[in-house]
Amino acid sequence: MSLARLRSLAFVGLVLAIAVPVLQAQSTTGPVKKMKAAAVKVVMIESNEIKLPAEFQVSLYEDLIAQLEKKSGLKAYREGDRNAESAADLVVLHTTVTGFKEGSERLRQVTTVAGATSINVHCTFTDASGKTLLEQDIKGKVRFFGANLRATYDFAKRTAQLAHDNFSPTAGA
Amino acid sequence: MAGRIGRILLMGGAMVCAPLALRAQTTPAPPAATKVTQITGLSGVKNKTKGLLLVNGSNLNFTHEQLKVDVPVNSVEDVVTGNDSQRAIGGALGTLSMFAPYGGGRFLSLFRSKLDTLTIKYRDADGGLHGAIFTMPVGKAELLKKDLLAMGAHTSVPGEAHAAPTAKEQKQ
Repeated sequence: MSLARLRSLAFVGLVLAIAVPVLQAQSTTGPVKKMKAAAVKVVMIESNEIKLPAEFQVSLYEDLIAQLEKKSGLKAYREGDRNAESAADLVVLHTTVTGFKEGSERLRQVTTVAGATSINVHCTFTDASGKTLLEQDIKGKVRFFGANLRATYDFAKRTAQLAHDNFSPTAGA
Repeated sequence: MAGRIGRILLMGGAMVCAPLALRAQTTPAPPAATKVTQITGLSGVKNKTKGLLLVNGSNLNFTHEQLKVDVPVNSVEDVVTGNDSQRAIGGALGTLSMFAPYGGGRFLSLFRSKLDTLTIKYRDADGGLHGAIFTMPVGKAELLKKDLLAMGAHTSVPGEAHAAPTAKEQKQ
């Protein structure tokens, strides 16, 4: 067997080794079945065990509402909003901070690799009666560029994407 | 004769000017606004908008050019101060400096200016909870916080719920 043929066989084997697991994963996951929801009420972020600076708590909450309005396709209500009581198909988003590491913007800018800020949040979507519909841990981080508060924007984007992927006003219709 | 006319004119001038000077002393000076940057959260205001913040009577006013936002102080549920820092050279120039040769941008990143932060939580007319973050020069946040607490705002920081009156109030 010539060296060229051995090389081509090795290449084909490598391609198959990469492609097969990817295709398998695609075929098993399929589209996620969405739950019906038209509005989401965001409860203020809790951080009982983790000491979270007030500006991070507020920034998480405000970014979350802004991103949910923008990306999830659901109407976002604030905690305590009286209009939410009459909203149909309302889900409530509870968030608890489970991990927080305040990095340093200066360190990031000087070293590029150090000084990352990260925040871990446990998100729970419940229905109006309090029954849990969806739970997930979501991480927000800022590694290279931007102020520390950008970690909250990263988290909010991911959470809005999660809501978009799992809830829809037209689901089950 | 000329001396007498001069004396009369002097007395007349003093009589005209004295009430004006007295009135100026008795009317309180308008409260001074603080230059701030609204980072996020204030309804109807874009993030990172610069403006003036002022506790004016029962309202917390934020003004930026023609834009004016009032937050009733009695709707403020929490006021917290903190500190932060920002690059001494920011904005587009700061971003461009990152591409400077020989690590010049990184060197410039070492120079930072300190800031105060003021974080408030308040309720809108529908009861919805809002949060807003402001940054301002060092030393200003505590003064604003004291003014807010004196006007009826609340804070979650223990021991500061009933703030001492500010120097401005003591004068009055």
